[in-house]
Amino acid sequence: MFLTSIKNTVIISEPTLIIRLQSGEQQALAYLYDNYSAALFGVIFRIVNEKNAAQEVLQDVFLKIWTRIASYDSQKGKLFTWMLNIARNAAIDKVRSAEFSKQKKTKDISDFVPTVESNEVISQSNDGIGLQNVLQQLPPEQQIIIEYLYFKGYTQSELADEKNIPLGTVKTRLRMAMQTLQSIAHKI
Amino acid sequence: MNIEAYISSGILEAYASGLLTAAEREEVERMLILYPVLQEELTKIEETQIWFLQQAAIKPDEAVKNKILEQTKRSIQAKSNSKSFQPYFWAVAASVSIALVTSLLSVYFYFKWQGSEKSLANLLAQNQQLAQDYTIVNQKIDQLENDLSVLYNPGIERIILNGTPNAPDAQAFVFWNKEKEEIYLQLQNLQALAHDQHYQLWAIIDGQPVDAGVFDFSKDALLKMKCLPGNISTFAITIEPRGGKSSPTLETMQAAGNTAKS
Repeated sequence: MFLTSIKNTVIISEPTLIIRLQSGEQQALAYLYDNYSAALFGVIFRIVNEKNAAQEVLQDVFLKIWTRIASYDSQKGKLFTWMLNIARNAAIDKVRSAEFSKQKKTKDISDFVPTVESNEVISQSNDGIGLQNVLQQLPPEQQIIIEYLYFKGYTQSELADEKNIPLGTVKTRLRMAMQTLQSIAHKI
Repeated sequence: MNIEAYISSGILEAYASGLLTAAEREEVERMLILYPVLQEELTKIEETQIWFLQQAAIKPDEAVKNKILEQTKRSIQAKSNSKSFQPYFWAVAASVSIALVTSLLSVYFYFKWQGSEKSLANLLAQNQQLAQDYTIVNQKIDQLENDLSVLYNPGIERIILNGTPNAPDAQAFVFWNKEKEEIYLQLQNLQALAHDQHYQLWAIIDGQPVDAGVFDFSKDALLKMKCLPGNISTFAITIEPRGGKSSPTLETMQAAGNTAKS
């Protein structure tokens, strides 16, 4: 279902793609980029909140994927899950770096995307039905969980502290949110 | 391990979205190998996650892709330049050393394992012996507790049965609870009997001897005899044919004693 946006491309199965990546085939990396870069960038951009810095992070993420692909183990989850983990960590590292916070102060305020609901981000959403359209179908308490955990770079305990919700509740709400999303995906 | 509870805790969702610490992640990875159900559940979550993040996708500038391809091309070239004879030599050398080291280690661990097997068997045998001894001791304590609870009852009367001229060394005690009509016997010293003989205890009630049960000589425990109602004046022990008789053989009387009421 995630391949709908690809034009003029052959579909490569995940095991084949992994073997080709692990044997150092650059075409496989290009394929990976065409299929997943926008999804990863959607996460990175919203966490970093600044386009150029976010694009630097995306570039680093793909270089890391390329050099570390030998350590990927399909028993531990899908390739995208592994890439998302790298992307999320890289985006959070960027936001926390001293250099980045200095840059941010000197830049014009209009360069930044204040929240996930920003028009700039939405206008650039090129695939599917758009984040807002999906999130609106979730109950408010599940929307908050998805926004903070996926797009603001919060950990579960940081979110529990910030919103004064018990940690266990955060965990089970994330599960409920994913189940709601699954049923939305099946409806479309 | 309750797998349903593990799944509903939401830990797989947190794992898929990269929210766990390294230690928590390793734990989930171990669980994934142990329980195929978790793999299935994780795949569902991952598919939802991919779909959802495709909906939230944002296209980066085309320049990013070019930069990435540019840089990775360079790294491929750099790699192929250094690919001469050396890596193969080192690869072969490394494999040979690894093979040697692992064979030595396997011999070493084989002997270690044999040793551990033996000591484990010994320990298991010792453990079994201890468990048996423990059971025996426990049974003895139960018996003693039982005996004590009989002896310490305030309604109990102790009667000393001393040896008759037939057996001057004979001695036994009767514990009699008149109210409950219970009679217990504790033997101190009686002569050994032939196989076809039994000792028999008699209670004299209103001048008549009444059978209170047969027994063999044993010093171990308190013997519970027949329950007899009425005013007992005397207890006596005789030797009878095995199984006992309905009236005592007075010639074989070994010991006798009077109650306080007599």
